[in-house]
Parts: sequence; C-alpha cells; structure tokens
Amino acid sequence: MPEETLLKLTQVTKRFGALTAVDGLSLEVQRGEIFGLLGPNGAGKTTLINCAIGLLAPDAGEVAVGGGNPRERLVRARMGIAPQTLSLYELLTAEENLSFFGHLYGLSGDRLKERTRWVLDFVGLENRKRDAVKTYSGGMKRRLNLAAALLHDPQIILLDEPTVGVDPQSRNSIFDSILELKRDGRTIIYTTHYMEEAERLCDRVGIMDGGRLLALDTVHGLIAEQGGLPRLVVNTDGREIEMLTADPLAELNRLAASAPIDRFRLDQPTLEQVFLNLTGRTLRD
Amino acid sequence: MPAILAIAIKDLRMLIRVKSGLFFALGWPLVIAIAFGAIFSGSSDGPRRMAVALADDDQSAGSKAFAAQIVASTSFWVQVCKRSEAIDLVHKGRLAAALILPSGFGEASGQLFHGRPPQVEVWIDPSHQAEAAMIQGVLFQMTMEQLQKKMSDSGAMRVGLHKSLEDLKSSDLPPDQRASLTRFLGNMDRAMAEMPALSSAAGGSPSASWQPLKIEQHDVAIRQEGPRNPFEITFPQGLLWGVLGCTMAFAIGFVSERTQGTLFRLQMAPIGRIQLVAGKALACAVACLVLETLLLAIGRLGFHVVPNNWGLMALAGVSTAAAFVGIMMLIAGLAKTEQAAGGVGWASMMPLAMFGGAMVPLAFMPHWMAQIGVVSPVRWGILAFEGALWRGFSFEEMLLPCGILLAIGAICFFIGTRTLRLN
Repeated sequence: MPEETLLKLTQVTKRFGALTAVDGLSLEVQRGEIFGLLGPNGAGKTTLINCAIGLLAPDAGEVAVGGGNPRERLVRARMGIAPQTLSLYELLTAEENLSFFGHLYGLSGDRLKERTRWVLDFVGLENRKRDAVKTYSGGMKRRLNLAAALLHDPQIILLDEPTVGVDPQSRNSIFDSILELKRDGRTIIYTTHYMEEAERLCDRVGIMDGGRLLALDTVHGLIAEQGGLPRLVVNTDGREIEMLTADPLAELNRLAASAPIDRFRLDQPTLEQVFLNLTGRTLRD
Repeated sequence: MPAILAIAIKDLRMLIRVKSGLFFALGWPLVIAIAFGAIFSGSSDGPRRMAVALADDDQSAGSKAFAAQIVASTSFWVQVCKRSEAIDLVHKGRLAAALILPSGFGEASGQLFHGRPPQVEVWIDPSHQAEAAMIQGVLFQMTMEQLQKKMSDSGAMRVGLHKSLEDLKSSDLPPDQRASLTRFLGNMDRAMAEMPALSSAAGGSPSASWQPLKIEQHDVAIRQEGPRNPFEITFPQGLLWGVLGCTMAFAIGFVSERTQGTLFRLQMAPIGRIQLVAGKALACAVACLVLETLLLAIGRLGFHVVPNNWGLMALAGVSTAAAFVGIMMLIAGLAKTEQAAGGVGWASMMPLAMFGGAMVPLAFMPHWMAQIGVVSPVRWGILAFEGALWRGFSFEEMLLPCGILLAIGAICFFIGTRTLRLN
C-alpha cells in the first residue's frame, strides 16, 4: 500500500516573545502509523501539537493535515485530541459529556447514539456511563478523555501524555485501545516522556529538545543509529567486567578462554540511551 | 442540534448541578422577594387594628358592656389585663395604648343628662398624637352607639329616666336648673311610654333608625401612585438578585472552562469563536429569562404581584437579561481565574446592587444614594421592572431604562469578547 502523508509540517517556527518554542521543525506522519513525539518538559511538544491541530498559527513554515490547513474548521474536524489536561465536565455524566462533544462535531440522533455506545464500550466505561465524571478514578477519566477524542471517528488522533497519573490497569487498557486503533488503520500521534511506552507502541519516534527535532526514525533504527553499542557485563574470577561491544559473543569466548565465567548480562541500548546520547541528559531531567 | 444550542444546554445543565450557583440564582432572590416583602407587609388581610391593653377596674354591668364593645371593635386588637399590667405593656412599647375603665364608670354611664360623665383613662406615649386622636374618636363613637342603643329600647330608657328623676330630687343643682331638667326628663319619660305602640306599628323602633351622623365609606384604589403591596417592591429586587446570581455563575463557569481545560476541546471542535461566545451568551440569557419568569409566576400566584402591562414586563425582562449577559461576558473576559471572577465580580456587583436599589428600595433611597445609583445597571433593571409592575410607565417611558440596559449590555459584551482569551 503506498504511503500517504496525513500530517506534514514544513519548517515550522513558533515564538513566544524571546522564546523560540518550535524552531524550523519539519516532519511527516503517514496514514496508519503511530508516531511518537518524545521530549522533556519544555521541549516544545505541546506547542508543536497546538500548531498541528490549528490552535496556534506558526510564525513561519506550513502545517497541512490531509492537505488542508488545520485552522479551517472542516480540516480540524478530521482530528481528535485527548489533551494532557483532562478536558471533561466533571458535573456531567460520561454520556452527557460525549453527547455534548458529539453535537459540536455535528453528530446527532442514531449516529450520535451509535458512536457514543461504541466509544464507551471501546474504553470500557459502558457500565459507568450514567455516573458523574467527578466520581471516576484518574484512569477512568483518562479513558473517557480518549473516548471523547474518538467520538467523531477522526482520521488523526493526537494523544498528549495519555497515561499521566494512571494506574497500571488503566494504562494497559489504554495501550490495548491504542493498538486496536492502529489495527483499524488510524493514524496516531503520541507524545510521552515514558520511553518504554514509545518503544512498545510507536512505529516511528521523533525526539525533540529545545524546539528542534533531534532525531526521527523507527525505534529500532534510532537505537541502532544513536543508541551506541550493547553493554556486556561479565562476572568472572571474582571480578565484574563491563564493556561496550559490537560482538558480545566473541568477547564472551575471549573471556571464557582465560577464566571460567560465573555469569553475564547483556544490556541492549534503549531509547533512554538514545535520548541521553542525543541531548546529554535523561528524559525526566 | 446546532453547536450554539448544545453549548447553551450544557451550560444550563451545569448551572442546575452547582448547588451554590443555583442558590444564588434562585434561592436568595426568593428570600429577598418573599421574606422581606412579608416583613414589610405585616398583615395585609383587612383593616389594620391598633393593639391596645384594656383594664376594667369597675367590673360593673355598664363597664363590662363598654369593655365588650371595645373588644368587639374592628379598630382595636385588645389584650385584656389588669391596670398595672396594661400600663406596663405601653411603657415597654409592646402595645400602642392602655384603655382603663376606672371605678365608677358603670354608675356614671347610667346617668342621663346630669352628673359626672363616664370616664375612660387612655395611657399613651405623648409622641403618638395620631393614635391618641384615633382612640378618642373610636371611644366617642362607641359612647354614641350606647346612647343610641338605650334610646332605641324604651323600657331600659325609662328605667334610666326614673333613676335620674329620683337622683334629681337629692341633687345639689340650682332649683331653676333642677326644675327645668325634671320637666325635660318627665316629658321624655312620657314620650318613651308611647314609644312601644309606635314601634310595633312601624315594625321596629323609630329611634333605632336615628343616628346623629352617618358616615358612608367607599373604597377608592389610588391609581399608579405606589406599589399595591410590599411584594411589588421586593420582587423586582429579587429579580435583580437572581439575574446577578446567574451572571456570576456563568462568568465563573466560563473562566472555569479555560482553567480546567475544557475550552481547549471546544476550540478543537469545528466551531468558531462566535458560536462559542454565542452559546455561552444564550445560556446566560435563557437562565436569566427563566428565572425572571419563575419569580414573576411565584409573585403572581402567591403574592399579588401583578404587572400593569405584561408586554412592558417582557421588555424589562429581556433588556435586563441582555445587560447582564454583557456584564457576564465582561467579567469572563477580564478574569483569569475562577477566584478572580468570583472575587472581583461580586466585589463590583455588591456596590452596584446596593446603590442600584437591590438592598434599599429605590422608593425609600436617600437622594444622594439614588444619584450614585444612576451608574448601576441594577437600578435601571429594577426601575424597568417597577415601571411595568406598578409605576404605570408607558412604552415611551420604558425606553429610557430599557435603552440604558441594552446599551450597557452591548458595551460590556463588546469589551468582554474583545478581551476574552480562549487560550
């Protein structure tokens, strides 16, 4: 299947006074992929997302969603977003929240009922749909936040730190939902500062810092390109030997020839290592 | 459903679920309208009675009959007690006056045309001259009624005449006066002796139909010179308090959308700024109008609050709602947080309410206060409601308060939407 670019940012720059939040950034997101945007707080992820969804107009550069300008209403309607800050009315029930958001997207009647039923079922909140959101746990609110993003059946789904403050059970539920959306062919842009989430979910990852895109590739590609060599840790002759090596097996054979090996461990490079190598600091700094 | 309507319905639903907001929008206005109206009105059923104490020191048949007449009077609400207690009640200000029938009242009231007149002691604060005059008038009226009653009963009248004739024999009056009075009473006794025949022939006592003066009272309602009852003052005040409550609830709610992140999702939706603002405005306007309708219905059904002109009342309601929708938008536009909206909003609303007549009725407001109140939309709102309710405003007269309200609304709405930060 030929690749189709759904989101294209070309040399996008956004400044707030003296601060350049996004600095000449370009990237493309293809239909059906999960694109991870990684970066520490203040890296410019949220500003980039706001430019992508048309909430902010870039000072320079271009943003195109399905070929259109996201500041136009019809183009914006192709996107669904689950913001990091829960955007829900706590005094209303889940059903009332979804009904309201659905009306804003032009849904009504049977179509609205059908979509509401589907998203509630999708995020596992069908049995709590008539309860006020204020009675929900943090994880349930996150799931409803995701449901609201999916209600109008958008082409592109933006998930901004969707697992912040979520218990492990809800986190796994959200992961399952995201993977199911991918299987359905949806395009997902996923921002996080949890490397393991990006490794588990994302097809491609962009690493941002200081408003710039430092690297962009598949997870394996990034690790291979930027992660450095695997780390071999060997316990032999009462000592622990640690080394970076491109050929761990050859190194093990060499050590075994001189002394018996008690035990060894091989640490493959991770995205965390990639980030450290690229920025000189860890993602949570 | 159009987005504007969806936003309005959502906001109204939220208003109903915030109990504090609902109280200030509906509960407090009802307290103002009903409780204060009731306090000012006292008993509105029938004529007002003066509360008096009554002590009968004489305890004779004559004094008891007069006391019974006082108790039965529609002019007084009477507490019967002993002399000292009656005076004490007046001292303490609990009753307006004390009426005391002293010893000898009964004997004096039995004497006709001679001797000491029966005496009633009236104990009253000297500053209450109007009440004192009223009491005198009522007591004279009762005495005349007793005399009329006696004269209508020839038997009883003749017993009194005979006793007076006996008393005259031992009286110390000058001889010529005594002779003259004896002749007069004797003639009267003879006339009374013939009375039963006349009475039966006429089918009733002719003297019973005689009165020294008959006063016929006709009730004439004063037209358009004031409220018909205190509720017509307190309900417009309550209406404005309700509108203020709605205004603040929606202003804070709008700011909450921004601080709690829901505005972000609204902006993401394929709706424009105009639709978003219009939805908010519609919700506030509908809430104000529903509240006004509800309060007026309660006033109409339970408290005799009846507009002179329903059309003008609708004009007042719409104009007031429009003004405060604009004010809501201004507060939402200027405030950055809910605390700022609540604090600054109420801090500015309270003086406007105070000088505008929501606390002290416009009709009773000192001149200087009324002058300051000219800048308050609350004043013009109350004036518009009162104009339609009891001031008897014509359409042309309504144009001033309603026009000012609409102008305030438009200016505030414009500034509010210009300063409103959606991000």
